[in-house]
Amino acid sequence: MKRANIEECVLAWIAEGVDAPADEKRFDELALALFRHQYEHGEAYQRLCAAENRNPSNVEHWTEIPSVPTGAFKRARLATFPVEREVRTFRSSGSSSAERGELHLDTLELYDASLLATFGAYICCASDPLRFLVLAPSSRDAPESSLSYMFDRAGHEFGRGAPSFYIDAGGWDAEQTIADLEKLAEPAAVVGTAFSFVHLLDELASREIRLALPEGSRVMETGGFKGRSRELSRAELHASIEAGLGVPVSRIVNQYGMCELASQFYEATLRTGEPTHAKSVPPWVRTRVLDPATFTDVSPGETGVLVHYDLANTGSVLAVQTSDLGRRLDSGFEMLGRLAGAEERGCSIAADALLGSR
Amino acid sequence: MREFAAAEKIDRLDRALSLWRAPKSPWLARLAERHGGFSPEVVSLGVTRGLEGWTRDSLERLHERELDRPCWVPAETAVWLAGSVPTATFAALLLPLLAGSAVLAKPSSADPVTPELFTDSLAEAGLAGAVRICGEDEALREADCVVAYGNDATIEAVRRRAPARVFVGYGHKLSLAAIGPEVSVEQAARDLALDLALWDGRGCLSPAYALVLDEPAGRAESLAGALAQSLEHTQEVLPRGALAPAEELEIRERRSFAALRPDGLLFMSGNSTAWTVAYDPSGPLPSPGALRFARVVGVRNLAELAERCRELQPTLSSIGHCGWGEREAEIATIAASSGASRVCALGRMQLPPIDWNHDGMSPLRPMLRFTDIEGSESKAR
Repeated sequence: MKRANIEECVLAWIAEGVDAPADEKRFDELALALFRHQYEHGEAYQRLCAAENRNPSNVEHWTEIPSVPTGAFKRARLATFPVEREVRTFRSSGSSSAERGELHLDTLELYDASLLATFGAYICCASDPLRFLVLAPSSRDAPESSLSYMFDRAGHEFGRGAPSFYIDAGGWDAEQTIADLEKLAEPAAVVGTAFSFVHLLDELASREIRLALPEGSRVMETGGFKGRSRELSRAELHASIEAGLGVPVSRIVNQYGMCELASQFYEATLRTGEPTHAKSVPPWVRTRVLDPATFTDVSPGETGVLVHYDLANTGSVLAVQTSDLGRRLDSGFEMLGRLAGAEERGCSIAADALLGSR
Repeated sequence: MREFAAAEKIDRLDRALSLWRAPKSPWLARLAERHGGFSPEVVSLGVTRGLEGWTRDSLERLHERELDRPCWVPAETAVWLAGSVPTATFAALLLPLLAGSAVLAKPSSADPVTPELFTDSLAEAGLAGAVRICGEDEALREADCVVAYGNDATIEAVRRRAPARVFVGYGHKLSLAAIGPEVSVEQAARDLALDLALWDGRGCLSPAYALVLDEPAGRAESLAGALAQSLEHTQEVLPRGALAPAEELEIRERRSFAALRPDGLLFMSGNSTAWTVAYDPSGPLPSPGALRFARVVGVRNLAELAERCRELQPTLSSIGHCGWGEREAEIATIAASSGASRVCALGRMQLPPIDWNHDGMSPLRPMLRFTDIEGSESKAR
């Protein structure tokens, strides 16, 4: 099957929405076809597969497709097309370009389709167009940020009017954010990074302001704190948002995504009205929870490393291994945080840190 | 410890070490069973081989060499332990005792067992109370000398908390193997595999790199292949210990980085992370190997070997070598110019003698304060 045919099939599946059956045979056929394409056209990926002695002739099920650690996206161009066809590159956050993972795209069609299908289903929930207030830079200010792209794209697709972005190169415009929040008269989607919400909440507290956003408003937060603000548990953050913005926790959603994946994962809180820790997996994606030692699936409920298989990742690699810990639930998976750094290794670790970037 | 005459002190320390060296030593059996960080096989062989040379004679020689003049000896030395290598813990506790100081031992979180058992063995040898295991506050409050092992940040933090004391810090280091052309690749691979397997690459004496003279061309690659076979065999007799989940993932990630290099070769254990050999034909040094992830790097000549060693300054600890024939003296010169504190035969990297100048420092003297006694004025004239 050619890539164009695979993409056509994946787009058709995405068009059926997040409630479409997660048909196993359908996924397996598409994943194996996509693996063949990525193996044949991705030089770097082929080398990774060769190291594991895997190739399209001996991979018979999607679970056997070699996964690529997110760190590898920092080391090699994992793309199945030449550089000149690139239309967009998303880069993970990091202190220098050498430390940033890159997702190269020669088309945004699948990326957009997956993004809009999940954002629409889990955040907008068929509501009337919402006012979008974004605690993140716009994609014009942060063209390499997949998160800014998502907010921009979703805001224009589902929003009433253009989305408002409150962070740019000059920093966060607290005055404007709070002024806009205070004068909201109709339901809004307030979206942004978790640490930006902490800054907003701290600012509101310092001004002794407690907001009550219009009924029907919702909040989506994503990402960790990475030392950019004080750290809160997810439950504490949501409780603080409820107290500070007047949005009940039943309308606050955590999203989990990464630069290396085209698809994202959401809690179904807004769809069910019940807060949940479970991240829903769209039908065109699979998430496995693996034992780090054996790389076999752990039993349901047990903790392991998350590995995602995303059919919307057509131009790079579909199987991405994270350093995130999680556990499988009936309705998806629960994200439990990132694996802490490797245990101290006697007296060799500092030198390792010293040279680790090589 | 000050109440013991030198001979008595050495006698009792030797008695304690003998308990561990004895055939079928119950102390060693207990450590192998309880340690947890390494397989019992690794603990047994590592300790047995490691203590072989720590004889009464070697203790006497060291004592005589280091305490050759009147000096102040700390009454109590706080020893801040790091990592999980038992023989490193033995040495860290033994040396202050040999100097005549009691020890307040602050165990590392990775290995609370070795200091406990070693302390008990000292008691059985007539040195009850010579080592007291305690928390960091107590250790720092009471000791008049502090010896700290660990990463550089830990050393600095302990140093700041121990003002106005004698302070000795052993920060992080790494070691490498240097393999010349005058040895079979099979023999070199066997010796290197042993150095990699003992303590699972967790210590500063583990070869983080194997620099191989690629003479004739292709020899370094052959050695990488032979090392893969040796590590596979070694895994059967000296299984690697369990890794933390983050370490497992780190190995998988490093394997993928190695596989991405178009000019490299990667050999690895199937269905596990037990061992890995990544071969780099040349170029800048990759990240160091650890946890039985071996880095074999080709070098074209001794000048390139020297350059690679200098790149590791000031973190280079030991160089294990073999196959240099008449060029062996040049390895010693390279080691000295790159700040390495030890050159030894390959296969013996994990077996430092007790009188080794760890990090280039005398084993006992940094804890002591010597009194220089000059001749009287009249004699001087």
